[in-house]
Amino acid sequence: MAAFKPYWNRWLSRRIPVAASVRLNQRRIFIIPSQVGLAFMAALLLMLLAAINYQNSLAYALTFLLSSVFVVAILHTYRNLAGLILKAGAAPAVFAGEPATFRVRLESSARAHQAVSLGWPPAALQTLDVPAAGQVECQLNLPTTQRGWLRPGRLRVESRFPLGILVAWSWVDLDQQVLVYPRPLAGDLPLSAGASDDQEEEGSRAHGQGVDDYQGLKSYQPGDSKRRLHWKAYSRGQGLLVKDFASITGRDLYLDFESLGGDVEARLSLLCHWVLQLSERQQPFALSLPGQVLAANTGELHRDACLRALALFGRGV
Amino acid sequence: MRAKLDSVLEAVNQVLLGKEQQVRLALTCLLAEGHLLIEDLPGMGKTTLSHTLAKVLGLSFQRIQFTSDLLPGDILGTSVFDKDTGQFVFHPGPIFAELVLADEINRATPKSQSALLEAMEEGQVTIEGATRPLPQPFFVIATQNPVSQGGTFALPESQLDRFMMRLSLGYPGKAAEKALLLGDSRRSLLPHLPAVLNHSELARVQAEIPKVRASDALVDYVLRLVDATRTQPQFAWGLSPRASLALLAAARAWAFLAGRDYVIPEDVQAVLPAVVGHRLRERADPAGHGGGSLVQWLLREVPAL
Amino acid sequence: MSQASAIPRISLTWLLVAQVLVIIPHLSHLPLWVIGLWLGSAAWRVQIFRMRARYPNAWAKGGLMLAAALGVFLSRGSLIGLDAGVVLLVAAFVLKLLEMRTRRDALVLVFLGFFVVVTAYLFDDSMLMAFYSLLPVTALLAALIGLQQSNLATQPWPTVRLAGGMMLQALPVMLLLFVFFPRMGPLWSLPVPNDKATSGLSDSMTPADIADLSRSAALAFRASFNGETPPRSELYWRALTFDRFDGRRWSQSDYAEFAPAAQWQKQGEPVSYSIVMQPSSQRWLFALDVAETTLEQTRQMSDFRLQRRQPVDRSLIYQATSWPQALRETQPSTESLRRALQLPEQGEPRSRAWAEQLKRDYPQPEQLVQAMLSHFNQQPFAYTLRPPALGQNNIDDFLFETRSGFCAHYAGAMTYVLRAAGIPARVVAGYQGGEYNPAGNYVQVRQFDAHAWVEYWQSGRGWVSVDPTFQVAPERIESGLEDALSGEQTFLEDSPFSPLRYRNLSWLNELRLAWDNINYGWQRWVLGYQSQQQLEFLQRWLGRVDAQTLVMGLVGGGGLLLGLLALWLFKPWQRERDPQQRVFQRFERLLARHGVTRQPGEGPRDYAARAALQLPAQAQAIQAFALAFEAQRYAGQATSVAELHLCLRALRLSLPWRLTRLES
Repeated sequence: MAAFKPYWNRWLSRRIPVAASVRLNQRRIFIIPSQVGLAFMAALLLMLLAAINYQNSLAYALTFLLSSVFVVAILHTYRNLAGLILKAGAAPAVFAGEPATFRVRLESSARAHQAVSLGWPPAALQTLDVPAAGQVECQLNLPTTQRGWLRPGRLRVESRFPLGILVAWSWVDLDQQVLVYPRPLAGDLPLSAGASDDQEEEGSRAHGQGVDDYQGLKSYQPGDSKRRLHWKAYSRGQGLLVKDFASITGRDLYLDFESLGGDVEARLSLLCHWVLQLSERQQPFALSLPGQVLAANTGELHRDACLRALALFGRGV
Repeated sequence: MRAKLDSVLEAVNQVLLGKEQQVRLALTCLLAEGHLLIEDLPGMGKTTLSHTLAKVLGLSFQRIQFTSDLLPGDILGTSVFDKDTGQFVFHPGPIFAELVLADEINRATPKSQSALLEAMEEGQVTIEGATRPLPQPFFVIATQNPVSQGGTFALPESQLDRFMMRLSLGYPGKAAEKALLLGDSRRSLLPHLPAVLNHSELARVQAEIPKVRASDALVDYVLRLVDATRTQPQFAWGLSPRASLALLAAARAWAFLAGRDYVIPEDVQAVLPAVVGHRLRERADPAGHGGGSLVQWLLREVPAL
Repeated sequence: MSQASAIPRISLTWLLVAQVLVIIPHLSHLPLWVIGLWLGSAAWRVQIFRMRARYPNAWAKGGLMLAAALGVFLSRGSLIGLDAGVVLLVAAFVLKLLEMRTRRDALVLVFLGFFVVVTAYLFDDSMLMAFYSLLPVTALLAALIGLQQSNLATQPWPTVRLAGGMMLQALPVMLLLFVFFPRMGPLWSLPVPNDKATSGLSDSMTPADIADLSRSAALAFRASFNGETPPRSELYWRALTFDRFDGRRWSQSDYAEFAPAAQWQKQGEPVSYSIVMQPSSQRWLFALDVAETTLEQTRQMSDFRLQRRQPVDRSLIYQATSWPQALRETQPSTESLRRALQLPEQGEPRSRAWAEQLKRDYPQPEQLVQAMLSHFNQQPFAYTLRPPALGQNNIDDFLFETRSGFCAHYAGAMTYVLRAAGIPARVVAGYQGGEYNPAGNYVQVRQFDAHAWVEYWQSGRGWVSVDPTFQVAPERIESGLEDALSGEQTFLEDSPFSPLRYRNLSWLNELRLAWDNINYGWQRWVLGYQSQQQLEFLQRWLGRVDAQTLVMGLVGGGGLLLGLLALWLFKPWQRERDPQQRVFQRFERLLARHGVTRQPGEGPRDYAARAALQLPAQAQAIQAFALAFEAQRYAGQATSVAELHLCLRALRLSLPWRLTRLES
């Protein structure tokens, strides 16, 4: 089975190429009888035996009717998936250990699709209905363990509607990935203060000393931290304003990978914790990883860039 | 009327060589009553383009050079105490012109930038409690150095959204540059340019544009484009309704310039890079610059039919 | 995974409905306590659903199962056999509903339901039953669909509409399977329902037996003649003969079972017909004299009846050909003649004396028979279904005292007298006449057509049939029992609502005949469609029948039907709703065949321009189409797709013909 897997994957990726939007059609839908279907067949066989032994035409007729329903159900089950469009939605970055949430949008081009199940086995599938010419969005969770890009692999889409005796399914790769940041781990951080060689600064610990001076208000721009919004001003109808802080130069904190001990993952987790802490305090900081330095800055963009660098450290891109 | 528009284009193209496409887009933007942002390195002809447009369209022209010490009052105007009358007299700033060139807008502080942008949006300015209407028509052509240059304040997304189009002129082609080098100084041509359109003609053209037919099928295409930016994962955020309105208005103007009274998908595609390029960001690179590859994706993948 | 989850309300609703529909046909033969059990369980289940009651625990379930089994044993006397089996099945079907928690349980219930429907067919396979059974099957399918629906709040109607729709769509394939699926004989014998009250002739006869039968309007069989239907006075349907008389009762001697078949000679014009016989639980078949049949496992016995090896437990179809003028047993075995002369040692002195006298007066058997017949004709004999009681010497009493009776009396008395006169004779029991149904051109014979007549043996002529009843009541033979009894109002007096009593209302009669015709067709073509019928039917339509034809018919026909259904379901021609788009897609496909494929984001004008560059010879036609399309789609010109079609046709004509796509 394992030896067979690469061939299967190659065949599958030829047949259902990776795409952010997939429309299910006859090339992409597979269909076989389900377990219930096998039981149904066994029941039909018993009924056929009764019909033969009693030479009862009506029993024959009912057996044949149900067999035909079985055959017709192939078309119906197939039809319940055919024409369904799956689109990948954005997946926000998460910290390792948190469940990653993938959004998938199901669109119907014409008819309604009932009881469509989605998921990444062995996790339980999520079932939902797509109204005719409508769309629904569903969130699929996947546990994360490692930092870096998480690619969930092929998504199973299946439907047993209407009779449950057949299962039609497809494996689609919506090219989804989510960035998993290292798991933040609290701990003390030996600080090295940027370019400063002030002896007093050496060994000082970042324990949230307020280094910021309140400067005034400026109007909100996308990318500004929402924590600094001046809600009072907003409630007075003065529009969205943010509190502007200016940090005292020369005291930027410098998070340095090299200055930490422990194995790589532990160091990254510690750095991750401090990136979050310092960002929360609006404190500018710089981050230094081997081969990569992010200059001192503050704000959500900076934080995200730092977390991204931590997540992808040593992983290529 | 269209013949006049053609001669407008011809006149501008005489001054600005080898930039037919950008000139046409710029004119489209003005006809659709949008403001234009030109982003390019210095010396590429941004000022020439604006000045020429003003001249041929018969508009009064003012240029504001944005610097880091520019104050809002320098743009809008101030009240000065007149000793003779004993009253404050308002001295209108350069913004009270029909075509305002805001040169190197990203060099000014956000405060000054927003003074201009608010005026752009509202069509009037409020100074010291008095609201003064801006002239009609009113266009702003802002120019901006690419952000990578030092000492600048990049316009935030909310402000960028107020420009209908962003253009980049780019280097001229070899033949055009040769003609440029061999010929007269282009700026010297300017004073001799006649105004091709007068105010009433311009107003009439502008009134024609909303009447250009946009069929259901076409609006569906615009919706598909906008919807893709809102749902596809590679877009950091989707286009605003203002953007979709701008897209349709620009497409109408473009169709009108092409001599048609209905819009076809190709019109939308022609104006799409200029209209949405500055409003889109890639999710993977939200701080990054420009949505050029996203626009290409939209053009390629969103079904035109 | 989804198996373990709860049962959607919609499915439960339809299961309850299905249960009612499934059980209704069984009501007539279920013991009352099962019905009580059913109502109780259903009420309990509903309460469980409303959270007012709990599921039964293991003890309660076990107890109920045991109690049900015990109840079956008490009311049916056994746990095996079809009746007990069906009651057990229904009880299980009822109890399973009660303990149904998961989807798996519900599936079991649905499958059980299908079985219960099948068992109902064993008790009643009429056409009404067949159509009725579509209701429970639909409800069961709806329950099956409901199990799959994730939306718990759906309305019940769309579900059942889908179930019904699927059944309708399955019908063509079902018919195909029904026609082509090869039928075979029973693989092993199974118990048959024994509460089927079969009335009919039995292997012995007293006059009272025939009188009982004549009160029943139940159908005995129907016969269709190939060619003209003979007049009813010639329709003497032989069932069996009685050659032993014990003083009260005529019966069949064992000899008839084992004697070798009698010899006979075909003579005159044969009559051929097919008979659809109702179950009789007896082994003999009905036929006109002297008959041959193609039915398997059937032979002609020494008294010229047809007999099957197995009793007729379900309706039977057979073809027969008869030679009414055949000469029967001109050289009989002495044993058979000896048996045709058997009489009790003593009794009936007056009859014996009359026989002696007749023998003296008429030495020729033929004359003697004629004399007896004219005696019946001329003396005041009466035909009645309410004869006066007869004494110890019942033949004497009948012949000389009461002189009123019906066919059994006349045939018995005449045979007795003939035997006493030394002429071998026996009573033939069967049916006489039948009602001709002009709508279907067939004769239907009911139990009240039961009749007894006489055959005697004469040297040189063999066995000769005579009917003394004809002398007394010719209308019984020529137009039937009802007319024969018109004076005494005894015809079907026990069943006042039988439509047969109202034959004088012509519209009602026509309706009845038409209905009977439909049922006859049902029996012949549906119920009787078993191995032989199938073979004949397929041979008639296909010429030859072998495994290959059957498989080809099934596979080919099935494929064709499914293809048509798929076309109808998917309507590929309607995939694009917009007619303009549809034409444009054809335009695209046409150009794609010539190597110009449109990218999804490419507008029509750009695409046309590119195509025109690649196909310069057709540039004009391409541009013309693109312009027309643009004008309609974007410039809002009056929509006339016909114009687009014209442009497309012009383009197609200008292009060389290609079927496959040219990879560009």
